[in-house]
Amino acid sequence: MANKLLRKTFMEPLGKNNPVFVQILGICSTLAVTNKLQNTMVMVLGVMFTTALSSLTISLLRNHIPSRIRMMVETMVIATFVIIVDIVLKAFYPEMWKQLGPYVGLIITNCIIMGRIEAFALQNKPMLSLVDGLASGLGYAYVLLAIAFVRELLGTGSLWGYQILGSWWTNWSIMIMPPGGFFVLAIIIWIIREKFMKEAKND
Amino acid sequence: MKAKRTFYSERIYPLLFMFAVTFFCILLTSGLHLATQDKAITNERSFTRRAILNAGGVDFENTTEGIEEAYQSKIEEKDGYYVADSENGKRYIIPVEGPGLWGAITIMAGFEEDLSTFSGIAIVSQNETPGLGARIEEPWFTEQFRGKQAPFTLVEEGTADAATEVDAITGATRTSEYFRNLTNRAADDAKRIIGGE
Repeated sequence: MANKLLRKTFMEPLGKNNPVFVQILGICSTLAVTNKLQNTMVMVLGVMFTTALSSLTISLLRNHIPSRIRMMVETMVIATFVIIVDIVLKAFYPEMWKQLGPYVGLIITNCIIMGRIEAFALQNKPMLSLVDGLASGLGYAYVLLAIAFVRELLGTGSLWGYQILGSWWTNWSIMIMPPGGFFVLAIIIWIIREKFMKEAKND
Repeated sequence: MKAKRTFYSERIYPLLFMFAVTFFCILLTSGLHLATQDKAITNERSFTRRAILNAGGVDFENTTEGIEEAYQSKIEEKDGYYVADSENGKRYIIPVEGPGLWGAITIMAGFEEDLSTFSGIAIVSQNETPGLGARIEEPWFTEQFRGKQAPFTLVEEGTADAATEVDAITGATRTSEYFRNLTNRAADDAKRIIGGE
């Protein structure tokens, strides 16, 4: 029983309750950081770290937080974890920190984190909330990496900074610019909903 | 909440709770900040020093220690500019800042002794579009200024050959223009600040 619940908590954000292509949350960062795989990877790791740990923290505190100030407490906890990510990147991965610039700080505004806390962590036990936060982060991560894969490949002919396509390839500049993010995201949402989520739509 | 609403539970407790959470969070983040502060400052200084060495065309090993060592032995700090003692004579390096497409671009511009031929350019900071304007950081772009003389004209990517022509970046015309203005100004600054003394 407990295992089944755990499994369901873990699998739902990856598939039929995915934060990006079902709930359409966290779209601003999806569009902003997906033009290079490397940046995307750091961003999604930051988001996974933050969702998992802030869900855990809020769940631990859930019986003590006065409900009228719960949003303030949530924001404070999220901001703390994001600042930790920022400080660690700045000290140990300065090149990456420079490239990501303001986006690390903007993890705070990622709706997935606040959304999972409000919808899940406030009502569930700490371990389950940690799993839910982590799985939501993963569900966000793989969609973003897929988008970044397409955008970097078509936009610069390279992957992870290494040139993949030869000199015959003409870079699609639009792919690395903001509109490219909209196109790829929309196409991926469309494909996934059409191909894999037919039955969910008819429910 | 099932507990009955009292002045304490409605007013005092939330205040105390928020105070405690805030206190703990700030303690954690400032502790971490102080613990890594030295490293962050070293990184920042290392970035700037590497840019100065690159602009002066000085060879160095690309590690924190290598940068530090080369900087200490080859660079002399002056008022508003730097003098590099490279294998090919003295080089003068000045920091220049100017507008980019999204935010300020700061570069180190290095000059030969005549103060008009570039010995190199290095980016200190920029906020251009990743993958487009941010390509000003790529070596092929910064290297092309070496041995050339301002004022520059932009030509299509991959076609520059004259001593005053530089390649623009395809898809980042505005950034290229801002960068051209910045390098042109660097040459004026060099004559004024270093030459005019």
